[in-house]
Amino acid sequence: MKAARVIYHLARADFLERVRRYSFLLTLGFAGLLASGVYRGQIVLTLGHYYGAPNSAWFGAFLAMVATTFLSIVGFYIVRNTIQHDQQTRVGQILAATPITNSAYAAGKTLSNFAVLASMVLILALGAAVLQLARGHGAIDLWQLLSPFVLVALPAMAVVAALAVLSETIPGLRGGLGNVLYFFFWNGLLVTAFTIPAFDFAGLSLYMQSMGDTLRKVDPSYVNSFTLQIGPDKVATRQFEWQGLHWNATMIGERLLWLGVAVILAWLAARLFDRFDPAKESARLRKTKLKAAPPDEAGVVRAAGPRTVVHLTSPASTGRGNFSELIRAELRLMLAGTSRWWYLVALVLWVASLATPLDVSRGLLAAVWIWPLLLWSKMGVREGYYATSALVFSSPSPLHRQLPALWLSGVIVALAAGSGVALRLVIASDLHGLATWLAGALFIPTFALALGVFSGTSKVFEALYTVWWYVGPGNHVPYIDFMGTVASSGRPGFYFVLTAALLLAAYAGRRARLAYA
Amino acid sequence: MQVEIAHLNKTYRGGVVALNDFSLQLRPGVLGLLGPNGAGKSTLMNILATVTRPTSGSVKWNGDEIANRPDALRQVLGYLPQDFGVYPNLNPVEFLNYLAAVKGISQPAARRRIDELLDLVNLTDARKRPLGGFSGGMRQRVGIAQALLNDPQLLIVDEPTAGLDPEERVRFRNLLSELSGERIVVLSTHIVSDVEATATSIALIAKGTLVIHANPEELLRKVEGKVWEWILPSMELNAARERYLISNTLHRSDGVHARVVSFSMPPGAAPLPASLEDAYLYCLSNHQTGTAAS
Repeated sequence: MKAARVIYHLARADFLERVRRYSFLLTLGFAGLLASGVYRGQIVLTLGHYYGAPNSAWFGAFLAMVATTFLSIVGFYIVRNTIQHDQQTRVGQILAATPITNSAYAAGKTLSNFAVLASMVLILALGAAVLQLARGHGAIDLWQLLSPFVLVALPAMAVVAALAVLSETIPGLRGGLGNVLYFFFWNGLLVTAFTIPAFDFAGLSLYMQSMGDTLRKVDPSYVNSFTLQIGPDKVATRQFEWQGLHWNATMIGERLLWLGVAVILAWLAARLFDRFDPAKESARLRKTKLKAAPPDEAGVVRAAGPRTVVHLTSPASTGRGNFSELIRAELRLMLAGTSRWWYLVALVLWVASLATPLDVSRGLLAAVWIWPLLLWSKMGVREGYYATSALVFSSPSPLHRQLPALWLSGVIVALAAGSGVALRLVIASDLHGLATWLAGALFIPTFALALGVFSGTSKVFEALYTVWWYVGPGNHVPYIDFMGTVASSGRPGFYFVLTAALLLAAYAGRRARLAYA
Repeated sequence: MQVEIAHLNKTYRGGVVALNDFSLQLRPGVLGLLGPNGAGKSTLMNILATVTRPTSGSVKWNGDEIANRPDALRQVLGYLPQDFGVYPNLNPVEFLNYLAAVKGISQPAARRRIDELLDLVNLTDARKRPLGGFSGGMRQRVGIAQALLNDPQLLIVDEPTAGLDPEERVRFRNLLSELSGERIVVLSTHIVSDVEATATSIALIAKGTLVIHANPEELLRKVEGKVWEWILPSMELNAARERYLISNTLHRSDGVHARVVSFSMPPGAAPLPASLEDAYLYCLSNHQTGTAAS
């Protein structure tokens, strides 16, 4: 009873803290956007040439699947900061000194995550009801409308909520790497669900099976073609009537099993949770501490005896200074803490892109320019994250010196990492390829900077860039492939313009952040 | 060299008034800005440091409105905010080098200055250790060093001695006194002893308004002949608190030695020399009640 009360209050406080942030409205807005996307036909669910008749069962299942597919990725990034928030606000240190158990802490955080995700699911459920009232035919069937949300979407959200907590407790996954890896994990899980139904946490194969069985009775030629996509569909022109899933105890049990999975994940998170122990900080810091002179018990290196004030030399010049020195300083800051392994992999990629045939080298650019992702993702975010904004923004010309220097340091990383490919393009006299390469090198850090300045978090770039990278360069889709990973997919002109627009946006965003530009 | 603050107002979203028609003129020397928590000290510091824009009013540096020419002030500004962070993967030298570049200090000059500053704040031995492993006091000393990087003409330090051990606190006070000759130092704190040791003038701020701006002697004169030592049984202390402004108490074998600030002498009390803390409490109490202390 006492543990339940502790978990409840922990989850409640965490949830209220999030709900009262402006960003929570954006979170709900995103769910509303998804619902309106379905309403306006920009998100479609089709089975080959067929789409479902507009009834409660179809709208309920459709929007529940929208929740399990889109919210399971975006929602993860939204809720994945609850432990980090406690760390940053130093509330964690207070909690660590209380009798709260790790299990209660992980359970409370999972519940809070779940409550946020459930709020978004609720918006989609309301959207389904609105769709049924506005577009549907026949009477509203509350069970068929709402059961997909209760039995499919919510258990899936519970898994996402627990995964988010777990990823915050695993050393190495707490930062941007966890954001990137989750995208591939999520992608793999959705794909696997169609072949191994046991992995179907999103309920996609469940609906594909049921809808397919109904459709085959109307059109025996139908083969399993099941698509949930963003963007209008022109292939599906025929309608079929689907009356919904007939839930039995086994099906309900299978869905509720995902709640059990969430509990196991939360339990695992509790086992791995370091309870904000500063002694478990990064290995590099620990190692350096051991090498340094032993501090006294207060951690203070004391003066050996009475001291006199040291004479200070006035620096020769202040103010504008040397801009190249500022760029070097930003670059050093960007690369600070980067391990030798990182440089080694970057070097291997660089050599590989130089030594391979042009077509292969071009393709390698995708790997070359995903590798520094976590360096770029801190652009525009670092001052807020580390609370140094008052120091940096009270210095001369933060808008006209520091921001350009920061941007250029990001560009230098892109140019340096991709220079192997550039050399190949120069050797091949491929001017269009070179222009595409340059556009990509300018676009990536600018995209990072703009998102960092506006969102104040590295997560947005980490998530969006990973998705964009996968869809565009990963699949060589023209216009979306900003790297030009194949000769035909590059659109340098478009990305030069987009880069300029993003740069202006970053400038305007930073300008708005400063009291005086 | 002067800062003119005229009719400054700052109202935060939600209608919280942090500064209300605040006016003050600053000249070379150490200004101790005293006030209780939430008085508006940090807001004033942030406005002076060009980090926050006031809702209305003006701040002029040597006659120039800082809203029009913020960089004229920033080039000669050293600022130690109350809450600030560091980049945990950098060591003090790297961090100060970065901020020197941001402040536009040339690298050779910065290098020499950083060595001197690290010596000054007693961090030379820790110069190669990542800041992520520093204690609160050590970080604070890095903050002090960064504020002095550009040899500022206007040095704004907000609660600078927070987290410092007694020895470092004394060192910092001495440093402020030494620095104050040819520059304006604004020292914001609620620790009266820090101000007592260094300030050449004191501004008392409460609820966003300026209560008084005077030099320490003038402030002390306000409570001269109004401070008493009153020895009373500990049982009677609470009743005494209701009647008198008591600035300090010490339990001794003969009872509680209460330091009373009052126009009239409590029965059996003996006069004491006034301290700045007495003056601070006296002025604050007068401001809050709108009447003179009994």
